[in-house]
Amino acid sequence: MLCAQVGPEHGGTGLDSRANGELTARVGARCSSLRSVMTSQGMAAWTVRRLGGPEQWDTFLPRLTSGDLAAVGFSEPGAGSDLSAMETEIADDGAQVVVTGRKVWITAAHYADLLVVFGTYRGGATAVVVPAGAPGVRITRVPNPLGCRAAGHADITLDAVRVPADHVLGGTGLPLPLATTAALTYGRMSVAWGCVGILRACLDAAAAHTTTREQSGRVLAEHQLVARHLAELYVAERHATRACEHASASWDTGSPDMAVDAVHAKYVASREAAEGAARAVQLLASAAASDGHVVARAYRDAKLMEVIEGTSEICQLILAQHTRKPTQHTRRKVQA
Amino acid sequence: MTISSKPGSHTAETVAQEVQRFLEQRTKQTWDPDTDLFSSGAVSSMFAMELVVHLESSFDVVISGPDLALDNFRTVNAMTAMVLRLREAQP
Ligand SMILES: Cc1cc2nc3c(=O)[nH]c(=O)nc-3n(C[C@H](O)[C@H](O)[C@H](O)COP(=O)(O)OP(=O)(O)OC[C@H]3O[C@@H](n4cnc5c(N)ncnc54)[C@H](O)[C@@H]3O)c2cc1C
Repeated sequence: MLCAQVGPEHGGTGLDSRANGELTARVGARCSSLRSVMTSQGMAAWTVRRLGGPEQWDTFLPRLTSGDLAAVGFSEPGAGSDLSAMETEIADDGAQVVVTGRKVWITAAHYADLLVVFGTYRGGATAVVVPAGAPGVRITRVPNPLGCRAAGHADITLDAVRVPADHVLGGTGLPLPLATTAALTYGRMSVAWGCVGILRACLDAAAAHTTTREQSGRVLAEHQLVARHLAELYVAERHATRACEHASASWDTGSPDMAVDAVHAKYVASREAAEGAARAVQLLASAAASDGHVVARAYRDAKLMEVIEGTSEICQLILAQHTRKPTQHTRRKVQA
Repeated sequence: MTISSKPGSHTAETVAQEVQRFLEQRTKQTWDPDTDLFSSGAVSSMFAMELVVHLESSFDVVISGPDLALDNFRTVNAMTAMVLRLREAQP
């Protein structure tokens, strides 16, 4: 269930992107922490599928569908938005590789059995599957995150960690932007659908509250300024849902636009969720002002969705780049 | 009857034509079969992913692991060679 798009041949349920999206939204409406763990697990499975070869699918995917938890590490102290600054190194040493580096803010790393760690390899980059218990791995939980507080975010130190060479996905160096984009495309879909869930939870809570609480002699929803907030919240939920449905359809039909549609969906849904959650807090006012309330949690969690899997600004840069077609006249390197 | 279980039959010529058609549609220019897309053009990681997914869905192949190496996407000829090799290897 945590990585429901993995096929039955590897012990998964083989959902398509649309069905997995609806499942992700349902979980996301109740708990963004659990949804974040799902995002990491699904992204780990997708990374193995994309970057790994068939033997690696057979080795790792059944573990991910049968209870082992996984986290995916891109971010480093010096490499947040700019993943080309990544310093983690995967180095050959006979039948093993040696992994050295630091990762920060890795969702689910506190719970994980397997760490899918991105790093440079043979002049390019790829990911390596590192057992969380391997000698040289140190995992330190991030204290007091703003949101998704139960998602087990942790920093990871890899001090000359040795793993078998066949844990290096694909066994070769790939262009870093392609390797990370391939992996992040799944994560972006998952976060986007999770944001749809956040919006649905906010809409339900706001509708329930404003149709029962009375002020100035009528229920809140009958005050026009309140009604407008409700309309905007509904529009936000629809808007995010449509962007996600479109991106999932691209995924499910193998449209070449699937990667850029995933960026678009993540950008739209996280923006709508952050705005919508703030609107829901406004509508519930003091009723949503204590920390454990579903709308209070949505407010804290949604803001972080504008940060992860490519910040809103990075999404904007990718979308702007997409509008500019490649030409044979400009000279430019492959870039994120 | 065809030997391959893949739908449609493809030759180097038909694959190359389809790749060129796609590049032209996406970039509004024509590409010689051996022009280096990466050194001569602005190719973003999004565009590289477009190529990967388009080749997969047009020719019913899976491009994963080492096949994602940039050299396989550098020219129309390189993409054609990879597609034919994968269609052979993934019946
Ligand atoms: C809750 C949470 C969970 C996370 N989970 C994971 C995980 O599982 N795995 C993982 O690898 N990482 C994870 N991260 C890390 C996350 O991916 C990074 O925080 C994110 O990529 C941004 O990097 P940064 O925080 O270093 O910000 P910075 O890159 O320092 O950015 C700071 C600000 O500057 C802007 N900025 C930066 N560069 C540019 C630019 N070129 N143009 C315009 N604006 C720019 C950014 O948009 C942002 O607003 C998580 C983070 C959080 C908060």
